[in-house]
Order: sequence, then C-alpha cells, then structure tokens
Amino acid sequence: MSPKPETAPYRTAFDRHHPAGHDERREAALSRFETLGFPTRRDEAWRFTDLKKLHRAVFAPAEGAIHAVPDLVPWRFAGDAHRIVLVNGRFARELSQVGDLPKGVIFGSLAANPALIEQTFDPTDTEGGQAFTALNAALFADGFALVVPAGVHLDVPVEIVHWGAASGRSFHLRHLIALGAGATATVIETYAGQGDYWTNAVTTVRLDAGAKLRHAKLQDESSLAIHFAQVRADLASDARYESFVLTLGGNLSRHDSAVLYGGADATCGLFGAYLLRGEQEATNATFVDHAVPSCTTTEVFKGVVDERAHGVFLGSIMVRQDAQKTNANQLNKNLLLSPRAAVDTKPQLEILADDVKCSHGATVGDLDEEALFYLEARGIPAPEARRMLIEAFAADAIDQIEDDVDLRAHFVTQVQRWLGGGAK
Amino acid sequence: MLKISGLQAKILSGREVLKGIDLNVKAGEVHAIMGPNGSGKSTLAGILAGKPGYEVTGGSVTYQGKDLLSLSADERAREGVFLAFQYPVEIPGVNNMYFLRAALNAVRRHRGEAELDAGQFLKAVRAKLKELEIGDDLLQRGVNVGFSGGEKKRNEIFQMAMLEPKLALLDETDSGLDIDALKLVSNGINKLRSPDRAMVLITHYQRLLDYVEPDHIHVLSQGKIVMSGDKSLAAELEKTGYAAFGDAA
Repeated sequence: MSPKPETAPYRTAFDRHHPAGHDERREAALSRFETLGFPTRRDEAWRFTDLKKLHRAVFAPAEGAIHAVPDLVPWRFAGDAHRIVLVNGRFARELSQVGDLPKGVIFGSLAANPALIEQTFDPTDTEGGQAFTALNAALFADGFALVVPAGVHLDVPVEIVHWGAASGRSFHLRHLIALGAGATATVIETYAGQGDYWTNAVTTVRLDAGAKLRHAKLQDESSLAIHFAQVRADLASDARYESFVLTLGGNLSRHDSAVLYGGADATCGLFGAYLLRGEQEATNATFVDHAVPSCTTTEVFKGVVDERAHGVFLGSIMVRQDAQKTNANQLNKNLLLSPRAAVDTKPQLEILADDVKCSHGATVGDLDEEALFYLEARGIPAPEARRMLIEAFAADAIDQIEDDVDLRAHFVTQVQRWLGGGAK
Repeated sequence: MLKISGLQAKILSGREVLKGIDLNVKAGEVHAIMGPNGSGKSTLAGILAGKPGYEVTGGSVTYQGKDLLSLSADERAREGVFLAFQYPVEIPGVNNMYFLRAALNAVRRHRGEAELDAGQFLKAVRAKLKELEIGDDLLQRGVNVGFSGGEKKRNEIFQMAMLEPKLALLDETDSGLDIDALKLVSNGINKLRSPDRAMVLITHYQRLLDYVEPDHIHVLSQGKIVMSGDKSLAAELEKTGYAAFGDAA
C-alpha cells in the first residue's frame, strides 16, 4: 500500500496565507488535520473511495481574484429566488440579486456577516475525525449565511450558485443555515464550474423547535473537479430537515449528511440521485443519530451508473436506547448501465431501543429488458426508450420532494440535460 | 401483407419451439391462431414483433414486401406492426400519456407526418376514447402501473387505436378478462377492423371468437399449424378439445 500523502504542503499554504480572523482556532483545526492526515482506504468511511485524484496536486486555497463567469442560466432555478453567486469560494456581489427579504432575515455572504461566523463552529472542527472538515475550519474564507427569525416563513426560495474556475486551487466554503422556532425556508444550492479545482464545503444547519428547512443541491461541477461537502444538521423538537442532492458532475465527489435529533417528533428526509459516467466516482454518505424518542427518518437514494463510473452509498442510522418510537427507513436503488460500471452500497441500522419501526434495503440491477421491449414495440427508438426508463428511475427520488412542483421540475430538467449530454 | 414461410425458431439456448410455420395474411383479414399451452403461439407473436430471446433457425417472414426479421423491434412498430401483449409491462415513473405521445410521434415521424403537440395529441386521444367508448381514467397514471388485468388489456387496445397499425398481433388478449371486460375489448377490436388492416388473434379459448368473428382459424400444435379452416373450426374445437392434435391439454 502506498504511503499516506503528506499534509505538509497544506501547512505551507496555510502559513503563507490564510484568511484573517479566528487565528487560534484555525491553527487548532490545521493541527487536527495534520494529526488525522488524509483518509485512506483503511478508514471505514473511505474504503470504497480512491483518493488518488486528490493527490495528483496540492490544491492551494484560491485567493479571491474573480475570473470571468459564463451565463449561469442552464444551472439556475427557473422560478423566483433571492439569488447570490460565489465565484472561487467568494461572494460575487455584482452577480448577486437578493431583493427584499422579510424583516429580520439575513441572507448573504458569511464573510460579510462576521458576527455569524462563530455560529458555524462545531467541536468536530478541531476535535472530530473528519480531516476535510478540519482543513475547512483552518482555511475557510467565505460561504453563505441564511438566518430566519422565529415564526418567519420565507416564501421565496434562496438560491446560491457556486462557480469554480481556478484550476489547481481549492475553495473552502463554510455555510450557515439557522431557522428560529417555527420558521420555514427553501435553500437551493448549485455547484458548477470549469477546470481542475477542489471544492471543500461545510454547512452547519440549526433548526429550532418546529422549524422546517428544504435544502436542495445540484452538484454539477466540472468533470475534472473534486467536490467534498459536509452538512451537519441539529434538529430541535418538531423540526423538519429535508435534503435532496442531485449529483451529476465532478471527477471525485462526496456528500456527507449528519443529522442529530435533539428533541422529540422531529423528522428528516434525506433524498438524492446520482447519475455518473466516464470515470466519475461519487459517494453519498448519511449518518442519522436518533438520541431522543419519536423521530422519523426517511432516506431514498437512486443511482444511475454508466461506462466506468463508480457510485457509493453509505447510510448509517443509529437508534439509541432512549429513542423509542423511532421510525427509520432507508432505501438505495442502483441501475448499472455498463459492465464496467460499479456500485458499492452499505445501508446500515444500529438499533439499541426496542420499540421502533426500521427498515433498510439496497438493490443493484440493469435496465428492465421487458420494459425496454415494451417501449420499442410501440415504435420508440431504443436510445429514447432507454432515456425514458432512466429518467423514470431517477424521478422516483425527485418525487420525494412532495409539495414543490417547481423544484421537482428544476431537477427533472437537470436530469434531462445529463441524459441529452453524453460523455463530457 | 404478411407471408410466413417455413418459419423455424428456438428459444435462445433452449428448445426448438416453431418447427416450420406457413401462413399468409391479406389486408382486411382476421386470422385466429388457436392451440394448447406450449404449442408456440406466443413465441410466434414474439418473433413477429421482434422480442429478444429467440433465434430464428429457418424460413422467412415477408411483411409488405420487406424482410421483417431484419428489422429491429422499434422499426417494425414504426412500419405498422403492433403487438398487444399478453402481459402488458408495468413501467413506474413513465406517464401513460407521455409514453403514448412519444410512440405516436415516433410513428408519425417515420411516416413523414408532422409531430403532434400536447394540445393536438390530447384532442386525438379524446376522439379515440369516444370512438372506443372507453373512459379516460388510465391516462394520467404510470404505464400499466397498478392496472387490473382488464385495464391493462383495455390500455393495449387503446394504444392500438392511437397508433393505427397495419398488422395487429393480439396475444391472448382475452385471457384473464371477465365478461364485461371481454365485451369492451372485443368491441374495440371490432371497431378497428378495416379493409387495409390485418389482424392475428392468438387465443387458447374459443370464447373471444364469440365476439370477434375471424375469417380464418388455424390450429397450432407442437410448433406446427396442423389444421386450418373457417370460423366453424372453433366450434368443433370447443367440442373435441386439442387432444385430437396430440396434446393432453
């Protein structure tokens, strides 16, 4: 086995230049990163992932010069939205249009709201086991912040488009979403770009009692890019966190969701679809911690894997002793379109309480030949018939977004764009 | 319209199922192919429609002067061959209307006709439903998803009406239907009879032929047509069963 890649070049980059503020904490986080080192296949959480693509180069943090940005309309949500754009990990004011927000709502750049930065801090930044979270805590420059006060319903979604175009550089983004008691909001994130860069994002989500957040994300990074994202969500009683992640882009990517229930009767829905081709490798990992009674978790992830691509699903649900009346269902279904495509799927339940309803399941299969013949027997050419079946397969995950037809349409459009695209 | 000569076929990596079939079907004619289970009826329909899983080992099939067996399944459909499935496939996530419009427009493109937009398509659908005297309750559901046996067969007949094939192959369309559903489906088939359309009804029982009167009846047994005749043959079979043709069924 090859030796563990050195962390030293990142120390050099850190010493040479890191964003101002919270110096001691940044130093502690970098030390943590150095202690942990880069993960390898020996780490359970990374055993299916080939990190060679990350070790080809040292991705020094981007320093803020904003490059020319193309028309972002193909990636944008078509409906009304309060919209901001970040380029190479930093807020781009001239591309952003927030408009009027309800009283008390803050939405914009995290760096422009320094008082909010501390709200993104979490002990796992400096003491946790995730190397990339620690590196993010050392190097983050900007991100977005959304704060909605108690009782406020944000009827128009907020949209954050991240454009990456600095080859050889890394963007360490730090995001905050905080909803007061009974507040509601929809967040639509998009990551796209061109070139060979590394996005490393960490999002802190705090939902007070009865708050409801819908968090949608399109990952359509450059086909050369690396994308790691971690979301950690704390839910008070009666809160709901719903996330949908559509993974289309990136060469190597991973989305981690960690949900902690802090009060009874909270629910979360973690949904996603990944459509991969070429030599793409993408992981969706979830960890849901049922520490309190009467919470409900639903997970549905659908994967379509073509050519030599590799999809990974790691789902972990922990039901602790006090978490009676837990409901937890986890489902991962995959479609392999080529003999060289691969999927690793590991749904996992650990149950220490005795009065719970839990289920999990995973499937890996081919396109349904009978369905394909049925469509062809009606005159539909074979390639179109295949596209129809693939779209229907992915739509099953998109349809989990139950009461938002515009958001569903957003993702269906993106899936159709992928289906029409062929290898990039 | 359709000329089958000495057709022999086997299931891929399996046994020989058709052992030399000869059949001529002219435009406007309705042929019934009857026979016991395992006689090769459904295999014949599958091979004519281009279903994968079979290998033709001998003979030929000419359809409107073309070598039918050299065309892919979707090409055959666009050329006007329609197979009503014995077991219509459920396709979750594909809306029935979306599917049918894609199919109709594929056929229309092939014929050099303009594609129908959503409005024109809906109008055509409404007209056909009225003509066939069937309801619109199945349109907005996934293709065959959660349909009863009767609903599935009704959906097949409706698709046939929309696609206006030249050669319709109906594979056990009567199986699993109660009397009301059978009447509805038969009524649809009768309405679609026309001088420039040929139909081949594949059936185990004589029941369907009480409602749809064929011009010719053929008995298929052990991969061969062992007897052909007019509609009176059905009544005779009803009395004697298939045992006379070397089958216990």
